[in-house]
Amino acid sequence: MIHKDKHLKSTTGPRALVMAALLTLGCALASPSAAQDAKTIATTVCSACHGEDGNSVVPMFPKIAGLQEGYIVKQLRDFQSGRRKSDIMAPVVAALKPEDFLSLATYFSGKKLNPGAVDDKKVADFGKMVYFDGNEETGVPACIGCHQPQGAGHLIYPRIGGQHVQYVTQQLKNFASADRSNDVSRFMRVVAKRMSEEEIDSVAAYLASLDSK
Amino acid sequence: MKKLLTLLIMLTLWPALGSAQVAPWNEIKGELKIALETKGDAVRGEAAFESCQGCHRKDASGRVSGAYPRLSGQHATVLMKQIADIRSGQRSNPKMEPFIGDHVLTPYEIADIAIYLNGLPISTTIGKGPGTGVAKGKQLYEKDCAVCHGAMGEGNAAKFFPMVASQHYRYLLREVQFIRDGDRRNSNPDMVSVIKPYTSSDLEAVADYISQLASSQK
Repeated sequence: MIHKDKHLKSTTGPRALVMAALLTLGCALASPSAAQDAKTIATTVCSACHGEDGNSVVPMFPKIAGLQEGYIVKQLRDFQSGRRKSDIMAPVVAALKPEDFLSLATYFSGKKLNPGAVDDKKVADFGKMVYFDGNEETGVPACIGCHQPQGAGHLIYPRIGGQHVQYVTQQLKNFASADRSNDVSRFMRVVAKRMSEEEIDSVAAYLASLDSK
Repeated sequence: MKKLLTLLIMLTLWPALGSAQVAPWNEIKGELKIALETKGDAVRGEAAFESCQGCHRKDASGRVSGAYPRLSGQHATVLMKQIADIRSGQRSNPKMEPFIGDHVLTPYEIADIAIYLNGLPISTTIGKGPGTGVAKGKQLYEKDCAVCHGAMGEGNAAKFFPMVASQHYRYLLREVQFIRDGDRRNSNPDMVSVIKPYTSSDLEAVADYISQLASSQK
């Protein structure tokens, strides 16, 4: 099942990590107690992949600290309904109660997302150009329009500043191929489809070090 | 069976298609009518405009390159008509269409966005023409264009004539070429026939002159 996840194909290292994470989850989920509060779920279930404070250290798993509350709730609902497909998240969310969604969202939304470091300044500089100007030729809007200058996002637009390169790259590719299709008004599917591979890689590289506060 | 059905439908429609009157370019109907009759809300408009900022910029100044027009301060009626025309396909704009289709905006939000943009201060960072065509452009503009678009390029809200002053040169040039060549299908036919005989250098001169009007405003 897991093999279907594109981002897991490349190496065996991450796959082992996922297995370990799932095993940990399995233990946590096997003994559900009625009165689990958000923090308990966060630190026993979510933390295996996303880190206790929502700052995942594994590049394929997104940092979820500081994401908009509404955005987190929507993603959890979409994972549950299958609108957003993930072999990893589906069983996890299935074991949660819908009323946990908001409290988990509030919990992680209140944490600070810690940015990473720039690997290649040249690539990041090109990414910055795309982030602020888009591509007029191909009709790629500037990311800044919705996600704000520091990548903090706004309202329905999620925080992306400081996110892992690998995760951002994969999501943009998933949007472009419509493997991910739970974006509001199909915006990201249109935008990502218009982006070149170089633009995707560069924007992701630029975003990684953005401190969106 | 399917073929037969198609044939039947076509036969039924044939007379209607043959005698169909082309709707006037400025007919007020459908969602344009709804938007015009809606009391737009600038606060809601600001929120709805957020997904437009990636191209038109936060201050709606557009791009100096002309890739995207300046929208700030434009007549609300003009904005509503252009959005409605793009949605209906009357004006072709494949870059923009996915971001303003009816899966994105309601006709009421069209009114909100239009009112919001109309209330923004007219941008001052405007892409100017080379300045070499100004004399010839002034002549042409005053002879052919001013009667609708106004001596100062202010346009006419009631008649859906856009404010052309403070618009980017490259955008003006692209659109007048589209209009002359019949590529902007929602154009006023009167304008099309007026600029039909214009050479490319005439169009450049007019766009050049209009783009300089910006500086004389305010």
